[in-house]
Amino acid sequence: MRSTLRVAALVVLVSAALVLAVGGASSRSSAAQLPATGSIRGRVDIRRVIAPPERRPGITELGNPAPRDVPDLRAAVVYLETAPARAFEDRRTPRVRIDQRNETFYPHVLAVTTGTLVDFPNNDSTYHNVFSLSKAKRFDLGRYAKGKSQTVRFETPGIVRVFCDIHSHMSAWVLVFSHPFFATTDTDGRYRIDNVPAGTYAVSAWYEGSNRDTRSVTIPPQGGPVDLDFVVQ
Amino acid sequence: MQVRVVAFVLAWCGLAATAAAQTLPSEPVTFGEGRVVIGGDAAVSIAPRDNAYFNYSNYDHNLLRELRLGMTAQVRATERVSLLGELRTENADRISPYALYARIRPFPQRRLDVQIGRIPPTFGRFPRQAYSRDNPLIGYPLAYQYLTSLRADALPATADELLRMRGRGWLSSFIVGDRTPEHGVPLVNSLSWDAGVQVTASWDVLTLTGSVTNGTASNPRVSDDNGGKQIATRVALRPIAGLVIGSSFAHGEFVSRHAQSAAGARDGSFGQRADGLDVEYSRSHWVARADAVLSRWRLPMVGDAASVVDGVASHAPLYVASLRAVALSVEGRYTFLPGAYAAARVEHLGFNKITGSNGPLEWDAPVKRVEIGGGYYLQRNVIARVSWQYNERDTARFNRGRFVAGQLLFWF
Repeated sequence: MRSTLRVAALVVLVSAALVLAVGGASSRSSAAQLPATGSIRGRVDIRRVIAPPERRPGITELGNPAPRDVPDLRAAVVYLETAPARAFEDRRTPRVRIDQRNETFYPHVLAVTTGTLVDFPNNDSTYHNVFSLSKAKRFDLGRYAKGKSQTVRFETPGIVRVFCDIHSHMSAWVLVFSHPFFATTDTDGRYRIDNVPAGTYAVSAWYEGSNRDTRSVTIPPQGGPVDLDFVVQ
Repeated sequence: MQVRVVAFVLAWCGLAATAAAQTLPSEPVTFGEGRVVIGGDAAVSIAPRDNAYFNYSNYDHNLLRELRLGMTAQVRATERVSLLGELRTENADRISPYALYARIRPFPQRRLDVQIGRIPPTFGRFPRQAYSRDNPLIGYPLAYQYLTSLRADALPATADELLRMRGRGWLSSFIVGDRTPEHGVPLVNSLSWDAGVQVTASWDVLTLTGSVTNGTASNPRVSDDNGGKQIATRVALRPIAGLVIGSSFAHGEFVSRHAQSAAGARDGSFGQRADGLDVEYSRSHWVARADAVLSRWRLPMVGDAASVVDGVASHAPLYVASLRAVALSVEGRYTFLPGAYAAARVEHLGFNKITGSNGPLEWDAPVKRVEIGGGYYLQRNVIARVSWQYNERDTARFNRGRFVAGQLLFWF
């Protein structure tokens, strides 16, 4: 009986030792494969917020047009100019939307990864005709009524300017990235890009087509947040 | 005048450059936190000479062959009052204020607008699409452009004299009234605007417009020349998205007081009445439109040419001529690629018969027109267009015209 207990205790000890040994090796292996990641956060200071485009003077119209919403043009996009190789391995197909409401696109700026499907539902009682002539994506969805939606897949990285062929004051931006390291600023201009592997990167802030500020940032080997502010003129 | 034209062109280029930054501007220029909005458009059209004058407008320009610069402005004076205007020059020969009016919204929460001044035409659908961007082809519809031989300031003495002017609307002359050869009038003039007051009430599915103006549909005027006002109405119904059904009516005094007096017409109404029906349906990449315009004029006819001396008749008119013209038009546009479309328009313009010494004949020569073309957006607000137009007129000479036209259009 005593020897049986000894054998059992030995088995438990050996098993525990094996578990600890394997577990430790496994965690050491994971640590070797996954370097520490950090985040880049900060604020984009837009020195001159662009005024929303006005309707062209409706000289030929018989009266004032119906009221419309005014888009919020304070959104900027911060992104890594270059990204680590494994950032391009994500093959998911996200799906997002840009609403058409009160003759305005919501949101005005959308940043997506390549392969993303973007729905363009029409929530107005009038027709809209979404189109783009941008090099990164040329499309024309035709006219469709309230409650209908059309979808566009953005497959090529680049900047896509979206318009409505019927309402010339309607416009939106779709920024298509081949990696996931980007963020759109909130109403206070703040942004945060997470899970950035350690390394040195060029980071840019984009605003309404042409206003960019590019800076260099280093995520240390141990990871952690790094503050980086931008100013766009 | 040339100095003014040059100044206008420079101002136009300056505005374009202000909006442009490093690329061509695509949005209107705004000042004063959006209270002042200025837009512009430029169109260069090239085509062979039109020796049969199928495409001439009442500004004596071939619409397939012109340079046009336009500048539009809207000044929002208060929440309720805006001032709108347009300056335009064609072939750089003069600058004309095509539009200048006040738009008043008496009740800010209601879609009721009053427009006073040189206002947009109430009649028809096309005047709201006459700007090159909205017109799928380079040419204009016959009803809104083609010049008949009729004039408001000159009158034929007899049916034979009117019939002699068949197909010569670009340079028409009659012996009663002003005997200087001048262009005639289209059925409805979309290029010149009338002066008066216009009221529009809009709901989701219905828009009602009524106006009182100085001229008539075919002869808009800044100042009244006959003491008679035109009343025009338009009803536009939108029962479902993409479908617009419009009905228009206009009636006013057409013949000028001077011409009436020269014809010895003391009493009576010598007006123009126009009725129009238009339908537009669009879906997906298609837009289809159809228009019908019926116009009627009443002219005092002296009855014999011998009694007219120096443009003045020696006796009262013997009868009143009732002249009719009907224009039918069907057009379609299809966007077959992003930024590329094809379009076509088929039209007929016909006239009623009057009896001359050689028997009954249409008082002006019927015209058929087919135009096929397409456009390609070089950028969102720059279009290169090309079209082929075929015209046929029922006259012995200058009865056909085939044109290949090109146009480059830019607006902001």
